[in-house]
Amino acid sequence: MEDSTADVAAASPRFRRKSSTFIDAIHDMPEKVEMAPAQLYSTESGRLFHAGKIAIATVGLPARGKTHISVALTRYLRWLGVKTRAFHLGDYRRATLPAGQEVPEDYFFLDASASTVLLRQKILRKCREDIYQFFERENGQVAIYDAVNPLAAGRRSLANELAKHDIQTLFIESACHDQRIIEDNVRRVKISSPDEYAGWDAADAIKHYLARINAKIPHFETMEEKELDWIRVCPKQRLMLTLLTAIKMINAGDKFEINNRNFGYLARRIVFYLMNLQIKQRRAYFVRAGLSASNTYMSDDGLSDIGIDYARKMTETLIKHREQEHKQEIQNEEQEREQRSLVIWTSTKKRTIETASFLQDAGYPVRQRSQMVALNPGVCERMTERRIREKYPEEILKHEADPYHHRYPRAESYHDVAVRMEPVILELEREGNDLLIIAHESVLRVLYGYLMACKATDIPKLSFPRDEIIEIVPESYSNRSIRIPIPGLPNDTIPSSPEDIRIPVPPSGTLTPINIGEAFSGNATPLLSGSGSPRRNASPNQDSDHRGEGSMLLVDRALRKSGYLPQNKET
Amino acid sequence: MSRSPSVGANGHGVQAEDTRICVVMVGLPARGKSLIAQKVVRYLRWLSVPAKTFNVGNYRRLDTPQPTAAFFDTSNKQGEKLRHAAAEAAVNDMIKYFNNKAGLVAVLDATNSTKVRRKWVRERCDQANISTLFVESKCDDEDLIMSNIMEVKTTSPDYKGQDPESAAKDFRNRIRNYERVYQTIEEEEDLTFVKIIDVGSQVVINHIKDHLQSRVVYYVMSLHIKPRSIWLSRHGESVYNLTGRIGGDSNLSHRGEAYAKALPGLVAASVPQDAHIQIWTSTLKRTIATARWLASSKKQYTTLEWKALDELDAGLCDGLTYGQIKDRFPEDFASRDADKYNYRYTGGESYRDVVIRLEPIIMELERSENVLIVTHQAVLRCIYAYYMNVPQERSPWMEVPLHTLIKLTPRAYSTEEQRFTANIPAVSTYREKGGEAKHQTAEDEVGLGELEIRDIQANEEEEAAEKMSSFDEEVEEVIEKANNEAAHGAIKPAIVRVSTHDGHVDGDNISIVIP
Repeated sequence: MEDSTADVAAASPRFRRKSSTFIDAIHDMPEKVEMAPAQLYSTESGRLFHAGKIAIATVGLPARGKTHISVALTRYLRWLGVKTRAFHLGDYRRATLPAGQEVPEDYFFLDASASTVLLRQKILRKCREDIYQFFERENGQVAIYDAVNPLAAGRRSLANELAKHDIQTLFIESACHDQRIIEDNVRRVKISSPDEYAGWDAADAIKHYLARINAKIPHFETMEEKELDWIRVCPKQRLMLTLLTAIKMINAGDKFEINNRNFGYLARRIVFYLMNLQIKQRRAYFVRAGLSASNTYMSDDGLSDIGIDYARKMTETLIKHREQEHKQEIQNEEQEREQRSLVIWTSTKKRTIETASFLQDAGYPVRQRSQMVALNPGVCERMTERRIREKYPEEILKHEADPYHHRYPRAESYHDVAVRMEPVILELEREGNDLLIIAHESVLRVLYGYLMACKATDIPKLSFPRDEIIEIVPESYSNRSIRIPIPGLPNDTIPSSPEDIRIPVPPSGTLTPINIGEAFSGNATPLLSGSGSPRRNASPNQDSDHRGEGSMLLVDRALRKSGYLPQNKET
Repeated sequence: MSRSPSVGANGHGVQAEDTRICVVMVGLPARGKSLIAQKVVRYLRWLSVPAKTFNVGNYRRLDTPQPTAAFFDTSNKQGEKLRHAAAEAAVNDMIKYFNNKAGLVAVLDATNSTKVRRKWVRERCDQANISTLFVESKCDDEDLIMSNIMEVKTTSPDYKGQDPESAAKDFRNRIRNYERVYQTIEEEEDLTFVKIIDVGSQVVINHIKDHLQSRVVYYVMSLHIKPRSIWLSRHGESVYNLTGRIGGDSNLSHRGEAYAKALPGLVAASVPQDAHIQIWTSTLKRTIATARWLASSKKQYTTLEWKALDELDAGLCDGLTYGQIKDRFPEDFASRDADKYNYRYTGGESYRDVVIRLEPIIMELERSENVLIVTHQAVLRCIYAYYMNVPQERSPWMEVPLHTLIKLTPRAYSTEEQRFTANIPAVSTYREKGGEAKHQTAEDEVGLGELEIRDIQANEEEEAAEKMSSFDEEVEEVIEKANNEAAHGAIKPAIVRVSTHDGHVDGDNISIVIP
C-alpha cells in the first residue's frame, strides 16, 4: 500500500488529498486549524509545549521498522495536538523516478556516479523543500523525515542545514539485530506488494530482498555522534506467557540508548511513547455494552435479558469471525501458526463487565479499566432532548458549534474523555494480544478516533451500532477498519443509543467511523428522541439504494471491489 | 474525598490498575539516588498514584545510627550481616505494603550495587508478584559528586552533629568501599532497567514492561541535580481582586502595579548575582504585566508565556464574586466546599483538571534551572503542592497571599521554602473552607489601618479602578517605602519552611516554621 496517496502528494506538493475513505487519515493534513483530540491548549503559532520546530530524522536500513515508528509517532503527536507530518523519502524517490524504474544501483554508495548524485540531490531537495514549506507556511511543528540516513557525515550536515532554519533535529535510529524480526518485517511490508515478488516462494523472496539491500546500501554507520541528539531503538522479540498461549511479542522499543544534548519536553514525550510501542499484527475489536435495565450513567445496572442475549450473540459472532480470520491468515502466509490470544477490556461499569461474561466463561482474560467509563453526561442525564433545549438553550447552541469540546453543565466533553484516556491509549499500543474493547459508545468513539486519526470534529458523530463488531487491522503504513455484523439480534437491541446523552447533533454531514465521502449520512448516533434505528433512519437526501443498508456494508463492498478486502469476507 | 484511590480503582490521574512496581535504585553513594527516589514518589502521588519510599539506610540506622566507613567494607563480616538484615527488613516491609493494598509503587532506596544483590531483590519481588524496575544513576563527574558529598555531610542523619570535614572524609571512604564491589547493570542480567549516565546526558532503557514503568522512566529522564531555585508569585493585585470577582482577564490595580515595580527588588534580594532566570507567566494580562519590570531589569532574564499557567477556568462562574456564586449556584457552592479538589465548575475546570494540564510544566520545570513563575492562585497552589508534598485534600485550601514571593530550593533530602513579602497592601482573596462568601475589602487589610479607605466595592471594574486611583495616592507612600526597602536589600524572608520530599510524614508535622 506504500505507493498510494503519498506518491501523489510527493509528486505535487501543493495537492491536498481530501479526507480518506477506507484507510485511516494519518497521512492527511487537516485543512483548517482545529484542536486535536487530546490537545490541552492552543497557541497563536500553533506550536505547543514551547518546543519550537523539530525534525525527527529516522536512521536505519530498510525493514527495520522505520516507517512503522514514523507513522505511529505521527498518530500520537497529532493526537496530542502537535502538528506533525511524516515525509517518507521513499515516496519522493518513487515519485521522481519514472514509473517502474528503480533507483540506480549506486544510489546509496559513497562513490556514486555524477548522475546518481544529481538524482539523489534532486529527490532530497524536493523532500526538504516540502519540509520547509510545512514549517514555514503551514505552521508545522514536527516533521518526521523517514529516510535511511546511513552515514554520520550526512546526518551531521542534515542537522546543520536544519539548524540554519531554526529547526532542532532529533535522530531516531531503528537498530534491529534480530534476524527473525527483520525477516518478518520483510515478509509483511516489503514483499507483500503483488507485482514485485509474484510467484516467488516467501523464503526465497525474503532472502533475495535482504541480499539486495546489503548490496545496495553497503555503508551503514550506527549512531555514535556525541554532538547530536539521538535515540537508538532496538526492537526485540520476547516470548510472553499469557493465560492461553505463549505468544511472541516484538517490543518496538525494547532497548533504548539515548544521547541527550538538549531534550525538550517533546523529545522526552517521544521516548515515553516509543517505550509503549509494539510492532504488532494484533487486531482490535470494538463493541458496545449490552442493554441494561435503566441504561443511565449514574446507575450501575447489570444487563437486561435483551442485553444478555446480545452478549451471547456477540460472543458467538466474534469467536466465529476470529476462527475464519485465523484460517485466512494461514492460507495467506502458507504456514501453520497459532491463533493470537485475545484479551478483553471493559470499563468498571457492570453492563460492560457482564457483556464480557460469555467470553470470560470461555477462558478469555477480562480486565477492567476505570478510565473507560462513559462520558459523564452531567445535568443532561435522564433529560429528554426537549427538556434540555428548554432548560439550556445557550448550551445547545454552544454544543452545536463545537460538539467535541463543549461540556454540558457538570458533564464531560469528548475532549475530557480523550485526555483521561491517554494512558489507555498508551496501553493499547503496548498490548501484544488481540484486544476486544467493550465500552460505551463515547469511549469507543475516542479510541477509534485515535486509531483512525479522525478529526476532533468528527469524533462525536462516529456511530457504533450494537449489531456490529468493529475490527481495526493495523498495518505499518495505515490502519484499516472492518465491520462484522452480528446476526439475529432483535430490533430493539439495535436502535438508538439509549445510554447516550440525548444531545442533538446536526443531522446532515454526519459520519460513520468509515465514511466514503458523502455517500451516506444521518448516522449520528445520539438520536433525536423518538426516532428509530440510526441506520434505518436515513435522511431524505440520501440515495434510496443505500437505505437500510449498514454503512459498512457499502464500505466492505467498495473495499472488495478495489481489492483491499479478501473476497470471502463474510457480509 | 478519597484520599488515596484504592488499588484497581484509580479512577483518576494515570492508569495504574493491577501493576505493582518496585523501583529499585542502583548506584554508588552520592549519585543522587535518594533525590530521584523521593522525587519519583512525590510525582506519582501528585498524579494520584499511591507510592512510598523504603530507604534501607533508615532501617540500618535503627541498629547502627552513625557507622564509620569501615562498616561498609565488604570484608567486615559483621557490617555485611547488619546491612543485609536492613535490606531484608526493608523488602519485607515493602511486600507487606503491597499486600495491604496500600500502594502501587514502592521505591527501594539503597545502593544495590552488586549483581548478586540485584538478583536477590528481583527474586523476592517475583515471588510476591511485584514487577521490578531498576533505576541506576551512574556518574563520573567529579564536581557533581563533590557537591553531593557536601550536601550529604550536612544533611544526612549518619553525620549529624559531626565535624563536617571528617564527615566528608569518612563519606568518601565509604564511597571507596562501595566502588570496590560496584557492578553497573548489564544487559545479561535481563532486568527491566533505566540507566542514567552523567545526569541524563546518556540514557539506556531496557525492556520496559508496562505503562506505569514507562511513566516513571519518562519522569526520571527529566531530572537533573544541578543546584537551582524556583520562585513562585501570584500576579499583582488585579482590578477583579478589588471587587472580589474571580477569573476574567483584568488589568492590575495601582497596588498591583506597585508590586510589579517592587518585584525586581524582591527577586534581587534572593538571587545570586548574574544568575540566569527564566520568567514564566500565563497568557493573561495580569501576570504578564506583573513580570514586565522584572523581565526588563536584567539581560540574563528571559520570559516565556504558557497557556498551561492560566488560572483555573471557573466556567459559568467566571467574573462572579463568591457571593454571587453562592446566590446563583448554591448547590455548586456547597459541593465545591465538600470536595474542592475534584469539584469542577460548570463549563470550567477542577483542581484535578489543572494538575493534568500542569504536567508538561512540571516536566519542564524539572528539566530547567532557575525559574520564576508568575501565575494565579489555583495554579500556584498546584505547583506548590508538587514541590512541598501537600496532600490533595489540603492543597486547594492553602493560603497564598498576594504580593508575596515564594522561593523554593530543592535539596537532596528536602525542599526549602522562603517567603518574601513586598509590604505592599492588597486585598485578601482567601476564603477558608466553609467560610463566608463575603469578599474582603481593603478595609480589612492589615497594614492599611491608618489610611482612609474609600468604598471600592463597585461592580464595574472601570469604576473600581477610578475610585482606587484616588485611594492609591495615599498608599503611594507605603509603596515607596517598600521599594526603598527592596532597593536597599532590607528585605528578609518572612517564613522559612522545610518540607521533605517524601510526604508520608504529614506535611505540617515536619515543617519547621521560623518566624
